Amino acid sequence: MIYIRLILEYFKIGLFSFGGGYATLPFLYHISENFHWFSTKQLSDMIAVSSITPGPVGVNVATYSGYTTGGIFGALLATFTLILPSLIIVVIVAKLLAKFRENKYVKAAIYALKPAGCGLLAAVAIQLFRENISQIWAYILFFGLIIMSVKVKKNPLVYLGLSALVGLSLGLLKFI
Amino acid sequence: MQKTFWNIYKTFFKIGALLLGGGYVILPMLQSEISEKKGWATTDEIIEYYALSQSLPGVIAANISIFVGQKLLGIRGAIAAITGVITPAFLAIILIANILSELVTKHSVHSIFSGVAVGVVVLVILTIKEMWNKSVTDKFTTFIFIAAMILGFVKVSPVWIIIGSILIGIINRIKNPKEAE
Repeated sequence: MIYIRLILEYFKIGLFSFGGGYATLPFLYHISENFHWFSTKQLSDMIAVSSITPGPVGVNVATYSGYTTGGIFGALLATFTLILPSLIIVVIVAKLLAKFRENKYVKAAIYALKPAGCGLLAAVAIQLFRENISQIWAYILFFGLIIMSVKVKKNPLVYLGLSALVGLSLGLLKFI
Repeated sequence: MQKTFWNIYKTFFKIGALLLGGGYVILPMLQSEISEKKGWATTDEIIEYYALSQSLPGVIAANISIFVGQKLLGIRGAIAAITGVITPAFLAIILIANILSELVTKHSVHSIFSGVAVGVVVLVILTIKEMWNKSVTDKFTTFIFIAAMILGFVKVSPVWIIIGSILIGIINRIKNPKEAE
């Protein structure tokens, strides 16, 4: 029964992929090789496209592979079962946190946790910078946006829209 | 805006629709929509949820949405937030699933993505700046920041980095009972 297999495989990914970003991908390659629900070529196409579709890469690829396997119903199942472990675990952690927030050790843990989260994001930023900013136009766009950020309040929509527009225009002009 | 199921769903639907270039944009989006526009959570809380989300299994953008939703309206809020944030993603993929292979070879798609990728880097850096102001306040937190950045860069799993920081925080509290207040 293909739907039960889908549920099992995606629940497993949701439960065991730590670290976000591309952490789900090794599991998906594993599925591709073992179950042949989708080819590795389809998978890498999907990863490329998921950077311009809304939503996290992991969720996008789950929806897509569910769709290729079992149609719309398969897509719903794969997406839902990927998210389900998160829903259960995060709700439990959030409740515990609310209960013990005033505890001095919990406070001390959160006090150290926040700079660690910030440092991890900084590591992501370095990696993203090295992957995505190598050509001259990208440097110009990057520093242009940074300078703009001093004057313009940080509205993510403005930054994403502007950079999409610059990318498209440069593409049409055959610069990239 | 009242914290009803429907309002939470709508807000997260908007955030989900604008979640381009991977899940990283979730942080600046939450800061802008949840903390600045609606005042539903403080930036401090969002940073805390982000750090915790990294140490739990699953997709980070999904985890942090569930944290915020749970804070706003309990389990119903968590369900509203997570379904809201993934609905646009789901619809988008269903729409393009059949033309995927053509889409990948389209030059204009690539150039839009190359542009957006730069915007994502800028947004992430601006978010780090704000997180820094809220979380790196003394020698101890500066040390944790630098250590987490280096370990993250050399691909140590975020799970260990977050667990390590929690332990160091607690040990620090035991050793210096006053300092960490």
